[in-house]
Amino acid sequence: MPLDTSTYSLALLRVDGRRWNELRRLHAQIRTQAAADGSSYLEMGHTKVMCVVTGPSEPGPRRGGGIGGGAGGQSKDAEVVVNIVIAGFSSVDRKRRGRGDKRTQEMQSTVANALAASLHTHLFPHSQINVSLHVLSQDGSLLAALINAATLACVDAGIPMTDYVAACTAGSTSTYAANDESADPLLDLNHQEEQELPSLTVATLGDSDRVVVLVCESRVQISRLEGMLAVGVDGCKQVRELLDRVVREKGQRMILEGTVEKGTGLNDLD
Amino acid sequence: MASQIHVNLSPAELAYLHASLSLTPPIRPDGRSPDQYRPLSAETGILPGTNGSARICFADGTEAIVGVKAEVEKTGRRWDDDTIFLEGGGDDEEGGDKEKGSTQQGGNKEWVELTVEIPGQRDDDSATVFLAQMLSEALLADGGFVERLKINRGWHWKLYLDILLISPPLSYPLPLLSLTTHLALLSTRLPRLKSEGDEDPFFDDDWAAAPYLYPRDKKARPPVTLLVMAVGNNIIFDPAKEELAVADVVLAVSVADVADRKGKGVEDEDMDVDGRKLKLLSIRTVDPPSRLTPPGVPNASNTAYGHASAGATQQKMPEARAVESEAVEGVWKAPRGGAKLAVMGALVQKVLQKGGVADEVLDALEAVDLS
Repeated sequence: MPLDTSTYSLALLRVDGRRWNELRRLHAQIRTQAAADGSSYLEMGHTKVMCVVTGPSEPGPRRGGGIGGGAGGQSKDAEVVVNIVIAGFSSVDRKRRGRGDKRTQEMQSTVANALAASLHTHLFPHSQINVSLHVLSQDGSLLAALINAATLACVDAGIPMTDYVAACTAGSTSTYAANDESADPLLDLNHQEEQELPSLTVATLGDSDRVVVLVCESRVQISRLEGMLAVGVDGCKQVRELLDRVVREKGQRMILEGTVEKGTGLNDLD
Repeated sequence: MASQIHVNLSPAELAYLHASLSLTPPIRPDGRSPDQYRPLSAETGILPGTNGSARICFADGTEAIVGVKAEVEKTGRRWDDDTIFLEGGGDDEEGGDKEKGSTQQGGNKEWVELTVEIPGQRDDDSATVFLAQMLSEALLADGGFVERLKINRGWHWKLYLDILLISPPLSYPLPLLSLTTHLALLSTRLPRLKSEGDEDPFFDDDWAAAPYLYPRDKKARPPVTLLVMAVGNNIIFDPAKEELAVADVVLAVSVADVADRKGKGVEDEDMDVDGRKLKLLSIRTVDPPSRLTPPGVPNASNTAYGHASAGATQQKMPEARAVESEAVEGVWKAPRGGAKLAVMGALVQKVLQKGGVADEVLDALEAVDLS
C-alpha cells in the first residue's frame, strides 16, 4: 500500500500520528542474558533487536560469516566481529536471508567499523570482540536500532569506550520525484515511510556533533540533505539521553540489589 | 554426528567426572539428580507479528527464541494420484487406493520448513544442519502434525519455524531448541476458516477467534526431543557439556503425546490416568566428544619422542603397546566399542515410562501460560 504523503501538509501529522521531530517509543534493557559478557534488548517502535557481546577474548577460528572492523588477528588492537542474524519471522512476509546477503553484510561492516572507532580496542591487543545481533521484528530504522543495541551491550560488557554511539534515522516529507523545495525533514522513520521517502541513518558520538556513521541509500536533492542531517543529529542526542537513562537505572538497581560492591554510592553514578 | 562443544578438562579431571557419574546414585557436577532437568523460565507470545512464538531461558544462561509463521499454499496434485489406476492388476490397484487415501488424509513433508540459527556458526555447518534435521524429523515422524496443516483438498498451510539461539552455545543446544519449538507450536494459532469444503479458503479476520494448532481441550501435543546419556549403567538426563565430555552413549529421543489420535489409541493398556499416551517417534545417536578423541599413541612409538621409525620399535618391544593401552586409575581414557544393548533399552524405557522425564517435561510446558 503506497504511503499517502498528501495528508501531511494538512495537519502536519505523520501516518502514525507523530510530529516531524518526534521519536517513536524507545525501550531498552541491558543485561538480559546471563551467559554472555554483555547483552541488551532494544525496541524502537516495532523494530526489536537483541544483542549479545562475547569478549574481549582470544580469537578463535573464524567460522561464522561475521565481518570484522578495525584491526585484527595478531595486531595491537582488538578486532570487532559483528554477526547479524535477521530472523525469518521478523518481517510481515516471511523472507529468509542467508548469511551471504549483501545488505546484511553491509550492515555488519557498518556496525563493526562504528564500534571499532569508538571502543578502546588498543587496550586489548591480539583479541577479538564478538557482537552478535538478532533482529526479531523489523519496522524501519533497522541499522539505527542495531547500532544502539550494540552500544548498550558493549557498555554492559564493560568494554571501555569513548562515548555512546547513538543512532537514528531522518527523512524528508516528500519523495525525490516530487522535487518539493519546501519539504520538511522528518525524524525516526518507520517501515512505511522508509519505503517511500528519502532517508538517511546517522550516528553520533555521545552528545557531540561528531558523526560516526552516515548511510544514505536513497536519492535526495542536495538542498534537503542539510536539514535532514541536522534533524538526525538532533535525534541522536535524544537517543543518547534515553540510552544513558537505561544504563543508569540498571546501575542503580544493581547497587540496590548488592550486585555491585558496597564502596560505590548511588550518587557516584550521576 | 558430533556435538562440537569443546571443554578444556585434563585427563585427570575427566576421569574424576567419569568416576563420580558412574557411582550409584551418580553425583553430577551441578548437584542435580540423574533425571532432573535444568530449571528454566519460559514465556510465549512474545512476538505479535508471528502465528506463535516462545522464548526459553535455561538456568545456565542459554536462551532460545522460536517464531512460527504460516502461509496459505496451493496443494500441488501428485502425478500418481489418478494415473496409478490405469496400469497394474488388482493388487496394485489396492495399493494405489491406499496411497491415495493417505495423501488425502495426511500431509506432505514439504509443508514444514525449519531453520536453526546459531551465532558464530555458518547456517550450512554440518552440526547446525544436523540439529535442524533432528528437530524436523521429530515433527514429521508422526504424520499427525502435517495433517493439522491441511485446509481442504486444494489448499494447505505452510509452516515456517525459525529457531534462534540467542546465547553463545554453552552446552549442546538440542534440548533447549526442542523445548522452545514445542512451546512455540503450542502457542501457534491459525486464522479460523470461514469457507466450506473445497472452496478457495476464506478466513475470519478476528484474531481472537483463531483456533490453536493444538487445541487446549484435546490431549495431543507436539513432540519433544530429550537428550539422554549413559555413563556405565547410569542414565542421565539433560547433560551439561562437562558431562557430555565423558559420556559413553548419547541419544536424542523424540516423543510425542498422541492420546486423542483415532485408530491408534484404541488399545488403551498403557494409557495413564490423565490420558497421556507417549509415542516414541525417533532415536538418534549423538557422538559425544569422547568418541572423537583418538586413542593415544604410546610414547615408545611416538616419533615426537625421538623414535625415528615407530614400526621398528614396536617389533622390538611388543610389550610397549600392551602397557600403554591398559587403563590407569585416575587417568581418563576414551571409551572404545559400541554401547551395550541393555543400556540402550533401559534408556528408551526410562524416557517412556509413566511419570518419567518426558511426562514431567510435558507437564511443565503445559503449565506455561499461553498469551
